[in-house]
Amino acid sequence: MYHKYIVIIFLASCVFFVSGTYEDKRCKCVCPSPAAVLNNTGGTGRSPFIDNVPPNKCNCAGVILPRIGNLLNGREQEFCPRCECKYENRNTTIIKVVVIIVIWVIMLLVVYMGFLICLDPLINKRAKASYQEHTNEDEDGTVGGPSQAMGPRGNVLNRVTHQQDKWKRQVREQRRNIYDRHTMLN
Amino acid sequence: MERFPLKASQVKQTSTYQSVCKKGSQPNGRGAHSIGDGDVVDVSPGPQQPGDPISPTSHGTFQLYEQAANNAHWDAVIFSGMQGDDDIPGIGQYDDFHTIDWQRDIARDRMRHRYIVKKRQDSIWDLIKGICPIGRNYWSDLNNSFSWLTWPQVFGDRREGPGAYIVSYLFYIVWALTFAALSASLVRMFAPYACGSGIPEIKTILSGFIIRGYLGKWTLIIKVVGLILSVSSGLSLGKEGPMVHIASCIGNILSYLFPKYGRNEAKKREILSAAAAAGVSVAFGAPIGGVLFSLEEVSYYFPLKTLWRSFFCALIAAFVLRSINPFGNEHSVLFFVEYNKPWIFFELIPFVGLGIIGGCIATIFIKANIYWCRYRKYSKLGQYPVIEVLVVTLVTAVVAYPNPYTRMNTSELIYLLFNQCGISNSDPLCDYNRNFTDVNSAIEKAAAGPGVYRAIWLLVLALILKLVMTVFTFGIKVPCGLFIPSLALGAIAGRIVGIGVEQLAYNYPRIWLFSGECSTGDDCITPGLYAMVGAAAVLGGVTRMTVSLVVIMFELTGGVRYIVPLMAAAMASKWVGDALGRQGVYDAHIALNGYPFLDSKDEFQHTSLAADVMQPKRNETLAVITQDSMTIDDVETLLKETEHNGYPVVVSKESQYLVGFVLRRDLNLAIANARRTMEGVCGQTVVVFGGGGGVGAQPPAGPPAAVHLHRILDMAPITVTDQTPMETVVDMFRKLGLRQTLVTHNGRLLGVITKKDVLRHVKQMDNEDPNSVLFN
Repeated sequence: MYHKYIVIIFLASCVFFVSGTYEDKRCKCVCPSPAAVLNNTGGTGRSPFIDNVPPNKCNCAGVILPRIGNLLNGREQEFCPRCECKYENRNTTIIKVVVIIVIWVIMLLVVYMGFLICLDPLINKRAKASYQEHTNEDEDGTVGGPSQAMGPRGNVLNRVTHQQDKWKRQVREQRRNIYDRHTMLN
Repeated sequence: MERFPLKASQVKQTSTYQSVCKKGSQPNGRGAHSIGDGDVVDVSPGPQQPGDPISPTSHGTFQLYEQAANNAHWDAVIFSGMQGDDDIPGIGQYDDFHTIDWQRDIARDRMRHRYIVKKRQDSIWDLIKGICPIGRNYWSDLNNSFSWLTWPQVFGDRREGPGAYIVSYLFYIVWALTFAALSASLVRMFAPYACGSGIPEIKTILSGFIIRGYLGKWTLIIKVVGLILSVSSGLSLGKEGPMVHIASCIGNILSYLFPKYGRNEAKKREILSAAAAAGVSVAFGAPIGGVLFSLEEVSYYFPLKTLWRSFFCALIAAFVLRSINPFGNEHSVLFFVEYNKPWIFFELIPFVGLGIIGGCIATIFIKANIYWCRYRKYSKLGQYPVIEVLVVTLVTAVVAYPNPYTRMNTSELIYLLFNQCGISNSDPLCDYNRNFTDVNSAIEKAAAGPGVYRAIWLLVLALILKLVMTVFTFGIKVPCGLFIPSLALGAIAGRIVGIGVEQLAYNYPRIWLFSGECSTGDDCITPGLYAMVGAAAVLGGVTRMTVSLVVIMFELTGGVRYIVPLMAAAMASKWVGDALGRQGVYDAHIALNGYPFLDSKDEFQHTSLAADVMQPKRNETLAVITQDSMTIDDVETLLKETEHNGYPVVVSKESQYLVGFVLRRDLNLAIANARRTMEGVCGQTVVVFGGGGGVGAQPPAGPPAAVHLHRILDMAPITVTDQTPMETVVDMFRKLGLRQTLVTHNGRLLGVITKKDVLRHVKQMDNEDPNSVLFN
C-alpha cells in the first residue's frame, strides 16, 4: 500500500519538476554596454543577452539588434563586432530526472539511516545477546545457510532479515577495518 | 614434452596439452605421481572411474579432461561437472584480504573456454560483453552530469536571495557543513569502503588482491551519493578519482551476470581494467586518455585484448557522454580552450620551469599528506572521523568564502584560468588596458591593469590555501578525489607565471629571447597556456603519470598544438618529483596502508637468493601434507596448528618429493563437504591426494577407505630451486602473478615463498620496516 503512494508521489514530483520553465537551447551573447562603446568611455561593464533562436541566427543581428537596435543609432557596425555569441544546449529533462532520483535516494538513505540508528537497536535489543563474528560472507551464505531450512511461511521475511544481518555484519567488519584498526583507506 | 608418459597411447593429445600447460612444472608433478601408479589409470578413460567424475579446478589436473574429453562418451559427464564449476561450493574462490593466483584463474578460464567453444556459444558471450559497458557508462554519465550541473544551481539560488554578504557567507558555511555531515555519516553508516579516492585500492585489487565488498552495491550507491554531497560541500576535492571507483563497482556488479567473469578473479580484473578506463573517460571526456590511464596507472595485467576492449568501452562512454552533453557545449570535454596560437621556442624554458615548480608543489603535497595520514592512522585523531570531516569543512568554508577564486567551483576556476582574456571575460584577471574592437581579430598585447595585480595576489593566496586544504582533505572519510585540486594548484601557479612572462614580453618586446615574434601588435604569450602546462605539471608530479597525462590534458582542453609543452612539463615534473620523493601519491598511500602491491615498475636490484627468502627459516619445519598417509584428524590438526594459506603435498615426509600444492581454503571446504556428503567419514579416514583415484576408489558399501581430494590439488605448482636469484623470483611473481612458489633442492621440497615474503624482503632490502606489509 505504501509502495503505491510512494510511486505516485514520485511520479507526481517528476512531472511537476520536469514541466519547469527552463529551456534546453539558448544563444548567449556577451557585449560591452552600449554606452561604453558609443561614448568611447572604455568602461568594463559587460551585459549578456540571452535568447532562444536557431543556431544559425545566433549572432549579433539575430539576438542583439532586435532588442537594443534603437539605442545604437545606426552604429551597429561598431558595436556588433565586440559581441561574442555562443550557442549552448543541454538536456534539462535528463538532468531533472537524475536530480529527482538522487534526491529521492538521499532521502531514502537518510530515513533508513535514522531507522537504523534510532529504532533498530530498540527492536533487536534482546534478540542478539551475543553473536558470532563471521568474516566470510561466502561461507555463511552458501554452505548450509539457515535460509534453506526455513518453512514456507515467513520465508521471504526471514530471508530478508538474514540478508540484512549479513550486510550489517559486513558493514561492521568494514567499519572496524577503517575506523578502529586503521588498516585500510587512511 | 619428451618424457610425456601419454605419448605412446594418445599421440594426438600431446600437442594440445603441451600448448596450454606449463612445461617446466610438468615433469615434477608427473614424476612424483608415478609412485602411486596413477599414470596408467589416468590415461585410460574407460569405465574404471565412473564414481569419480573429474571436475577440474586447477590447471595441474586438467590434462585428465583433455584426454577424457576426447572420448565422446565422457563428454557430458565431465563437462557438466564443470559447468557448475565444482560440486564443492566455494572452491576456486578466495578469502577476504587474500592474494589471487593469476595462473590458476587464467587456466581455469582456459578450460572453461574450451567448453564454450565446444558448445559453440562463444559468440553469444562476446555479444553480451559488448552490451555491458553501455549500461555501465550510462550510469557513470548520469552521475557525472548531475554532480556538475545541479548543486551549483541550488547554491546559486540560495546566494542570490537577500544578497547580504554575511547572510550568504553563513548560508555557504551551513550548507557546506550539512552536505559534509550527511556525506560522512552516510559513508560511516552504510559503506565505509566508499571513502577516499579509491584509486590506490583499485590498483591493489587489479594487481590481484581480494577486498570483499569494496566493489559492491552499497559501496556504489554510497559513493555516488556521497561524492555528490562532498563535491557540493565545497571541500577541496575532485570527483574524477572516485569516478574510477564507481565505474569499477559497476563493472564488478555487472560481471556477476556473466559467470565467466564473475567467478574468475583473473578474468574479472580484465573487466575492471576496462571499467577504470571508462571511469576516467567520462570524468574528463577524454576517451583515449582514459584507456591510457588505465594502462599506465591503474592496471597490472593488461593484455592487448583488454586494451582493445577498454578502447571499445571508452568509445561507448564517449557516445553516451556526447548524447547527454553534460558540459553544455558541443565539445564534450570539461575545459575546452578556444585559442590556437603557436608558442615560440623560447617558451620551452618557462614550461620546463613550470614543470619543476609543479614537481616541487607535488612533492610538498605528497609528503605533507602522507605525514598527516600517518598521524591520523596512529593517533587519536583517527577515532573521530565525522568530527574531522566537519572541522575540515568548516575551516575550508570559512577561509574559502572571502576569496572569490576559492569560493567558486574548482572546475570553473580551472576553466577561467585556462582561458584567454577574450571580450566576454570580465573577471579582474582580465583587467588589461586593451580595447576590443572585434571578437575575431587577434588579441593585442597590453599592459596589465590594477585588477590583474590584485587577482594575482588573490591567486597566490588561493594557491596556498588550496594546497593546505587539499593536504588535510585528501584522506578524510568522505569520497574525495585528487585530480581537480591538483589541476587547480597547477593552473594557478601556471597562470601567475604566464602573466609574468606576458608582461615581460610586453615591456621588452625586442630582446632576443622573443626572436622578434612579439614585436608586432599581437599578444604573443598566452597566460592560459601556462596555466594548462602548470596544471599538467602538478598533476604529473602528484600521480607520476606521463603519457596518459599528456593525452588527457590535450583531450581535456582540445589543444592538440600544445603537446610538446605538455610533454616537457610532465617530464620535468616527473624527474623533479622522482628526485625529491620516490613515490607518487597513490603508491605512497599503498605503502602507508601496507597493501600487498608488487610494483611492476620498480626494479629489484639486490643479490639475494631464493633460499634466503623462503619460509621456513632454519631450524623450523615445513608444514606439509603427505600424499596418501594422513588421516582427516591429522589434516585438521595441521590446519589448526598452523595458519598458512596453503600446504605443499609431498609423497612422504622422509622423501619430500613434491606432488602438488593445496590451498587451505579448498582443503577446509573439501573436508567439510566430504563429512557432509559421504557417509561414514570419520577422523580416521585417510586423505588421498594422489593419482586419479583408480585404486580402490569405489568400495561397494561401508565406510570409505579414503577421501579422495585430488581435485583440489594443484598438480603443477610453480617451483624454483633454492639457488634461483631473487631477481628472477620477483620477476616471476610480477609477470606470472603468482601467489606462492615452491622452493626445491635436488628435487626435494625445501620451502615456500609467498607474495608476502617477497614484499617483506623487498621492504627489508630497501631499509623499510618489513612489518608494514599487512594481510596475507
